[in-house]
Amino acid sequence: MRRVLILGVLATLVLSGAGAGVTFAQPNRIVVYSALPDLETTLVNREFTRRTGIQVEALSVAAAGTLAARIRAEKDRPRADIFVGGSADFHAPLATEGLLLAYRSPVAAEARVSPAYRDPNGFWHGWYLGALGIIINTDRWDRDMAPRRVAKPATWDDLIRPEFRGQFIMPSPMTTGGGFIFVAAQIFRLGEDRAWAWLRQLNANASQYTPTAPGTITLLARGEGIVGMQWAHEGIGARLANMQPLETLVPPDTAFEIGAVSIIKGGPNPDGARAYVDFLLTRVPQVINASYGFRYPVRGDVPVPTGATPFDQLRFVRYDRDWAIQNMSRIRERWQREIGR
Amino acid sequence: MATVSLSDLRRQAADPGVALAFLVALATLGVFVLYPTFRVLVYPALADYLAIPRSARWLQAARNSLVMMGLSTATATLAGLVFAFATTRPDVPGRRFFRSVALLPLFAPPFMVAFAYILMFGRQGLITRTLLGLDVNIFGWHGLWLVQTVAFFPLAMLIIIGVLEAINPSLEHAARNLGADEWTVVRTITLALARPGIAGAALVVAISVLADFGNAVVIAGGFPLLATEAWFRMEGLADLKGAALVVAMLIVPTTVLFFLERYWVSRRAYVTVTGRGSPIDHPPTHPALRWTAAAFCAAMSVLVALVYLGVIAGAFTTVWGRDWSPTLAHWRLAADRLPTLWASVRIGALAGAITGAVAVAVAFLTSRPLPLRGVLDFLAVLPGALPGVFVGVGFVLAFNRPPLELVGTVWIIALALAFWHLPMGYQAAVATLKQIERSIEEAATNLGASGLRVLWDIYLPLLRRAFAGAFVVSFIRAVTNVSIVVFLVAPGNVVATFAILNMIGNGIWGAAAALTTMLLALTLVAVWVAQVALGRAVRGLPTRGGA
Repeated sequence: MRRVLILGVLATLVLSGAGAGVTFAQPNRIVVYSALPDLETTLVNREFTRRTGIQVEALSVAAAGTLAARIRAEKDRPRADIFVGGSADFHAPLATEGLLLAYRSPVAAEARVSPAYRDPNGFWHGWYLGALGIIINTDRWDRDMAPRRVAKPATWDDLIRPEFRGQFIMPSPMTTGGGFIFVAAQIFRLGEDRAWAWLRQLNANASQYTPTAPGTITLLARGEGIVGMQWAHEGIGARLANMQPLETLVPPDTAFEIGAVSIIKGGPNPDGARAYVDFLLTRVPQVINASYGFRYPVRGDVPVPTGATPFDQLRFVRYDRDWAIQNMSRIRERWQREIGR
Repeated sequence: MATVSLSDLRRQAADPGVALAFLVALATLGVFVLYPTFRVLVYPALADYLAIPRSARWLQAARNSLVMMGLSTATATLAGLVFAFATTRPDVPGRRFFRSVALLPLFAPPFMVAFAYILMFGRQGLITRTLLGLDVNIFGWHGLWLVQTVAFFPLAMLIIIGVLEAINPSLEHAARNLGADEWTVVRTITLALARPGIAGAALVVAISVLADFGNAVVIAGGFPLLATEAWFRMEGLADLKGAALVVAMLIVPTTVLFFLERYWVSRRAYVTVTGRGSPIDHPPTHPALRWTAAAFCAAMSVLVALVYLGVIAGAFTTVWGRDWSPTLAHWRLAADRLPTLWASVRIGALAGAITGAVAVAVAFLTSRPLPLRGVLDFLAVLPGALPGVFVGVGFVLAFNRPPLELVGTVWIIALALAFWHLPMGYQAAVATLKQIERSIEEAATNLGASGLRVLWDIYLPLLRRAFAGAFVVSFIRAVTNVSIVVFLVAPGNVVATFAILNMIGNGIWGAAAALTTMLLALTLVAVWVAQVALGRAVRGLPTRGGA
């Protein structure tokens, strides 16, 4: 009898799971895959719903690659309408594979957003920007470097100084957009052959290359390294929002990412998706992203994020994004060969 | 399995119930184990496979994975064996405490052990730096070895306990009466009889180590491994093809392990449950053995406790390492995520029920002299060879369209987790079955019982412990899983571990620690409920003399 009872309970349990969580396409709802943190995603989406009446079901994962892989896996039956966040470098390959829907938002032209920040074929629109920076753990600096009167690094070339042996951390160019853009920036800065010689010198200082971008901030904040390279807004955010002992500066010859939004082809609600792209190019979501994520807006009428140097005062290397995307796998293969970790 | 004899088939024809159950089980495993695997493996082209030997990094990763497997499996299985031995002896001091502590790592999300050890033993570690003033770099293979040993020894312990408890103490009494000394008794009776359990435990641990990426990704630093390489491919590069290739390399050693275990375990018969169970208590353990085991367990328990102290302290500390003042602010943030906890529990219960039922049914069926039972057995162990990310993507690729369109539902998560955890439950059930003497069943058959009746009346009561074990392990692993969940979570059914990982990724560690503490408390309650519900079944085992 007891066995029957237990089996009965289990059967009920199993059946109670049926039908739960099934999602249906609804005209008044869009599904968003977001590579931005929960907080920014939630605030931006709440504002979108308030303005348009369209509900948003969001899934935020702090890794654009995971979401891109997901979009690929679901290509026979796309579940989401929007892919937002992450560098355009993650969106461009999806467009090449025919997984994105082209759309030219009228808002981009109205707001006079530079055409450099959107795909000429309309597959993605940039709506925020981020610049690469040097991040220093001030606690460990004061303890280990200041007594030796070491000067703080101010340029990329300072990173290869021997004082930083075993103390440098950056995200892996094999797995992250930021790491890759950094390596490409050195190629644009020094020319390909000199860049690889320079990267080998940098490698002598490297303690590790983190597989995810936030990993670098985590380890730096924990004092596992003293000097790091990451998106400047991540370093600034870690200090201002989470009180971590990090100092951030943007060196000359830096490079930037174009934070993109794109529409997934075959998603349940393409009209809602277009409205979402239009919305992200307006002022309010960019203010939210600048205030909570410390990322630069693409619009000129949004104030510069707290703690950041104005974008037009930064000095950028001549970065050829098309070339970088086309040569991505070759550069990564060479990284594997030359650096090997 | 290749030689399907006619008499086997005829016997099957005589028992249509078992034959039908066999076909259903085969079809189920075919759909939920083989099909997703197949979908991922055919994703890359043949030329991609042929290019593998040219990738130095992947070959290095393969070597490293094998080294880690050897190291971590040896220490985790050994630790599991000592714990299993200590906690099944009534006279070892603190045995109940040790067993409870040893179960704790199973409640932690896979990255948590590594995360806590960085806090404790890293360059800024509470113990290494603040207390001892050392400058230690925990990143690398040595840190990973420590973490994997602590993370996986409970698995080994659970499996070995199942077997040790099934050993009839009268055998040890007999050996002692015949003049054997303490060490000989342990060696020739206890360890010899526990061999299928130890082998099964080592197999499960080895495969878990190979597939583990949660710890590796946090603490291995620049040390490439196959499982993390597969994950990096997906996570950073969105390279499904590369991930599938790396995972295909991973399947080679796991298949080898599988056949090794078959060969070793099947060398001896291990019949001790005879149906004439005796109410004899365990003979006293030699004091030296008793205290050595207790001391070892105490040391390991400290390592386990540090994981939890780190997490719980983190939930109440303003900023770890900088501002030690206590706060409740993290709990307010974590409270926003309470619905994710409910989703975790619901999915975990579903997964646990499915794992338990399938594990027991398949273990019973593979113990029958059926044709193709080797295939069924292989399919039941195979999921353990697959890294979580692989299973996650496999399920997305396989169940994204009719007839089985499951993407976006809780079902796809529960099924993926249930079948991924199947090998653990299955190995335990098989080890238990090996202890059951066939004469009980033959007696029933002679009295006219059908094959299914034998399952229901003889094996089910004896397998209840295996079911309970499978349910609990699968439940805990399901609510703490990250690797599969990352791919299958859909808007509307976000689970707690997913929310925690996002928080850690975004540097909101205090709230992540608070939510983890809530998850731990909830799983502990759920496991306690399950133990109460199934407890009487456990006490009814004939090995304990039916007292």
